[in-house]
Amino acid sequence: MSVEVRGLNVAIDGRPIVRDVDLTVGDGERVGLIGSSGSGKSMIARAMLGLLPRGAEVSGSVLLGGTEVVGAAERDLADLRGRYVGVVFQNPGASLNPVSTVARQIALPLRLHYDLTRAEREERVMAMLAKVGLDESVAGRYPHELSGGQQQRVGIAAALVTSPRFIIADEPTTALDSIIQRQITDLLVSLVDDAGASMLFITHDFSVLARATTRCAVIDDGRVADRGATADLLAAPSTPEARELVESARRLTLDPTLETR
Amino acid sequence: MTMRNLSESCTRVFRAIWRRGSGRYALTVLGLWMAVAVVSLFWTPQPLLATDGYHVWAAPSAAHPLGTDGTGADVLSWLMAGSRTNLVIAALTVVCSGALGLLLVGLMVSRRAGLGSVTVAVVDALISIPTVLIALLLTVPFGASVGVIVGACSIAYGLNLARVARPAAMLAARSDYVGSAFAGGASGWYAFTRHVVPNIAPVLAVQLSISAGTSVLAEAGLTYLGVGVGAGVPSWGHSLATSVKFINVFPLTVLWPGLVVTLAVVALNLLGDALVRVGEEVAR
Repeated sequence: MSVEVRGLNVAIDGRPIVRDVDLTVGDGERVGLIGSSGSGKSMIARAMLGLLPRGAEVSGSVLLGGTEVVGAAERDLADLRGRYVGVVFQNPGASLNPVSTVARQIALPLRLHYDLTRAEREERVMAMLAKVGLDESVAGRYPHELSGGQQQRVGIAAALVTSPRFIIADEPTTALDSIIQRQITDLLVSLVDDAGASMLFITHDFSVLARATTRCAVIDDGRVADRGATADLLAAPSTPEARELVESARRLTLDPTLETR
Repeated sequence: MTMRNLSESCTRVFRAIWRRGSGRYALTVLGLWMAVAVVSLFWTPQPLLATDGYHVWAAPSAAHPLGTDGTGADVLSWLMAGSRTNLVIAALTVVCSGALGLLLVGLMVSRRAGLGSVTVAVVDALISIPTVLIALLLTVPFGASVGVIVGACSIAYGLNLARVARPAAMLAARSDYVGSAFAGGASGWYAFTRHVVPNIAPVLAVQLSISAGTSVLAEAGLTYLGVGVGAGVPSWGHSLATSVKFINVFPLTVLWPGLVVTLAVVALNLLGDALVRVGEEVAR
C-alpha cells in the first residue's frame, strides 16, 4: 500500500510539533524516519493513524492507499487500524496487556476485524507465532514471563497477524539490547518483504536505520531536514541537521563500518 | 478459553486467600452465611411467625437456642431468615454499585474532551451526600424496602468506587497497551471493557468486598431508623431494631444480632484485606 503525506501540520495546545511534512512511502517500500527524541517523529506516525492526543490540531493530508485519514470519522479509522495498518511499538513490555495471554493479544486485531471461528483464529495465531520465531508454548503465557526480545516478537506478531499492507514501526528496537535489536530488525524486514507490505520505520539509531530502510527522511524540530537514499544520507549528509545526527550517532556507536554500509 | 482462564484465576485467587489466616476466617464466615441462608429457605428451628407467649425475652434454652424476643419469637430462626435478606442486599449492592462505579469510571477516562472532568466534578459533588440521606430521599416515593437499602448503598458506594478506582483506571487508559489496542482498531468501549477493567480488577474486588460489608452495617442502621427493610421482613437490622430498646434489661437478645453483624462485616473487610495482599503478590 502506498502512503502519501502532504503538508502535514500537527500542533498540540497551539504548540507546533510537526511542520509541513511531506512524505511518500511507495508500495512495498521501506522508508525510515530518523531524528532525535522530541523531534516529532512519533507524532507523524500517530497522525497517520488518527491517534493524536487530546488538544491536537492537525492539517494537511495523509493518504493511506487512497483513503484520507485527516478528518476521517473515528469508525472508519478504527476499521483501517489493525486491518490495513499494523503498528509495532517502542516498549514491548508496556505495550502488551499484563493480564492477558500472548495468544489473546495476537488475536486481538483478528477478533476486531474478521469473523473467524475460534479454531481458525487459533490456527492463525499459531502460524504467526512460528513466523516470528516463537514456540507454541508461548501462546498461553503472560507478557511478564517473556524476555524483552520475545515480547517484541509478540508485538510484531500482533501487528502482522491480519497481513496489513502498511506497517508503522515506532522505534521497535529502542528498548532492546544491540544483539536483539539486530534480530528484531531483520525479522521485521523479512516479514514485511515476504508480505509485500510497505513500512515506515521510525528510529534514532542509524545502524538500525541502515538495516531496515532503503530511503529515509531526517526530522528535526518537526520539519523534514533532509531526505534521500539511506546509504547516501549516511555517507554524505547534505544538511547541517543531518550531519549533526550522523556525527553524534557515529561517535556514540563507534562503528567504523557504518560509513561503508 | 476466556471462561477457562477466568475460572483458573478465580481458583488461584481463592487458594491465595485461603492460605492466609484472616482470609480463611473470611471465607469460612462467608461460606457459613451462604449455607445458613440456603438452609433457612427450607428449615428454621421455629416457624418465623410462631410466638411463644409464655416465654417472652427468654434466655437460651433447648427449644430456643438463642432465646426469644419481646413477642416470644425465636431469635435464632429470625437471624437465620435474616441472613437471607442481608445476603441478597450485599449481593445486589455489589452488582449495582459495581455497575454504577464502572459506568462512572468509564466516563471519567473517556477520550472525549470534557466528559471526564464533568463526571469527576459530578461524582465529587454527589459523594458528599450521606448514604442515610439518599435512603431517606428514596423512601419518600418508594417506602421502606430492601430496594431502598440496595438503591442507597449502590449509589453511595458506586460513587465511592468510581473515585477510588479512577487513578488506576486512568493509568490503564493512558497505558501503551491500550494505545496498542487502539492501533489494532479497538473502539473506546472495547478497550475499556477488555483492557482497562481487567487491569483494575484488584482495586474493584477490594472495594466491592468492603462495600458488601458496609451494606450489612447500612441495613442495620437504616432499619433501625425505620427506612430499611419493611416491617415483618426478617433481617439482622430488624432483629437489632426490635430488641435494642431493651438492651439494659435483656442484653443477650441484642447481643446475637450484633454479633452476627460484626462477624459478617469483619469477614468482608478481612476478605478485602486479603484481596489487597493477593493483588500485591500477583503484581510482584
